[in-house]
Amino acid sequence: MSGRNFHRILLVAALAAVSMLLPPPASSHLPELTKVGNNIVANRWNFAGFPVQWNLNPATGSNIQGSNSAASVIQAVFDTWTSAPNANVPVTRGADSSVSAEASSPANINLICFVCMDADFSKDSGTLAVTITTTVTRGHSDGHGGVAAFDGQIIKSDIIFNPNVQFTTDGTGSGSTQDLQTVATHEAGHFLGMDHTGVTRAIMFPFAPASEHTLSYDDDAGISTLYPKAIADVTTGSIAGTVRMLGSNAAVFGAHVYAGSTSSALPFPTSFNLRKSPISTLSKPDGTYLIQGVPADSYIITAEPLDGPESTSDVPGFTSAYGGTIQTNFTTRWH
Amino acid sequence: MMSPIRTRVIRKYLLPLFILASTPLLLGTSMVPMPVEALTQNAALIMQGEATRSWSQWNDQHSLIYTYTEFTVARTLKGQAPAKVVVKQLGGSVDGTTQHVSGVRYWPAGEEAVLFLRPSEAKDGTHVVVGLVQGNFRVERLSSGEVRVSNGVPEVQWLNAAGEQSVSQSTPMTLHDLENRIQRAQRLSQ
Repeated sequence: MSGRNFHRILLVAALAAVSMLLPPPASSHLPELTKVGNNIVANRWNFAGFPVQWNLNPATGSNIQGSNSAASVIQAVFDTWTSAPNANVPVTRGADSSVSAEASSPANINLICFVCMDADFSKDSGTLAVTITTTVTRGHSDGHGGVAAFDGQIIKSDIIFNPNVQFTTDGTGSGSTQDLQTVATHEAGHFLGMDHTGVTRAIMFPFAPASEHTLSYDDDAGISTLYPKAIADVTTGSIAGTVRMLGSNAAVFGAHVYAGSTSSALPFPTSFNLRKSPISTLSKPDGTYLIQGVPADSYIITAEPLDGPESTSDVPGFTSAYGGTIQTNFTTRWH
Repeated sequence: MMSPIRTRVIRKYLLPLFILASTPLLLGTSMVPMPVEALTQNAALIMQGEATRSWSQWNDQHSLIYTYTEFTVARTLKGQAPAKVVVKQLGGSVDGTTQHVSGVRYWPAGEEAVLFLRPSEAKDGTHVVVGLVQGNFRVERLSSGEVRVSNGVPEVQWLNAAGEQSVSQSTPMTLHDLENRIQRAQRLSQ
């Protein structure tokens, strides 16, 4: 992170409390958020409500090339998320669908579509895919004959791939051909309720390398916080604190705070196929932050302005939920 | 020692290939970063304006929620715009149901933006943002008097027609720089 704001007010990331290896509190990582009244809740599925399945329209156009079927790639993508350590994500493949227009997608299916031409974004080659996630408030119909058990419950999620973009199923994107599995793994994170992150190595970073099929520690912290497994595969804790301006002591909203390991240890066994990365969150309007899903290790905590490569514009869900403007008028600080 | 002919061949053909191969491609998982020049080419209308009001409603099939934002047009940088333009975006909230599209930014009343737009495929008189979100540059007026714009997209590197490496200025950039690039892109496309 650049130090171009040196003339600005300095910042202190005050670790008001550091609590490792404690049960994660209720609030979470960087999920997509819904504001209901004065409450801000993380969007998530209620797996106890109805079976959550993805429904593939197997039809593909000539823009999908490669030796693997699109169906096998999508299955591999969901396998990646459902096998994430510490997470309980019982999402399975449902019946295939012939729906070929997003506007016609029924409320009770979660459509994966390669031939839906009705979305305005499909006219842009710069947009590869979008995920449209529907949430409702508690007591609202869940579209499956029941009602939502909590605010922010996801009841439907559709992933629409741009029919005018070239994808390969071979696992390696190059030039103008996009790797389907990389794109789909990111979109499946949105399907499950994950928002973008500021950790560049994470699959949920808004801009990724040409080929990335595995989750990072940051991704796993997010998904396991949203959907914690009853008995964790690997014990994790949380790190909490407050980001304040030096001098004025004013709270800093929207600081990108991350825990970066200072060791070469791999607290998640390699069998889980996770990429070690920092684990991050953003500070709330009162300056507090809570980094969850942190495995035992040695960490340095960094608070940095969200001024690139991810910027305040990349997390509109966070800013619209909390209101106000994310602050970037400080320099990076390590603790 | 390398001969002059060989050197020219390397400059003309191999160097661009080497640069292309060695340039980290910022391929988005949901977006490919579009430089201002590409946004300009793909836009029928580029305007600077201020959001005055917005509302969300279901489509006719009651399957998708769209948010509509009305802008008062301050000036036009490409194309012709009426005094008011309505921009349509996927997502929004209606009666306890919310549809989310990660990365899509909506505009509160009073927010100023430079927008790269094209008519909606629905032909309903509304416009959509080119590149889903990339053609949406938030305008920020600093106390120093400088006006900055940003669409949240990181730096883009590519090879131009001459095979030279170009690097688009990462956002935020000044409004003046954005205007210059839009004008240059329009001149080149004529």
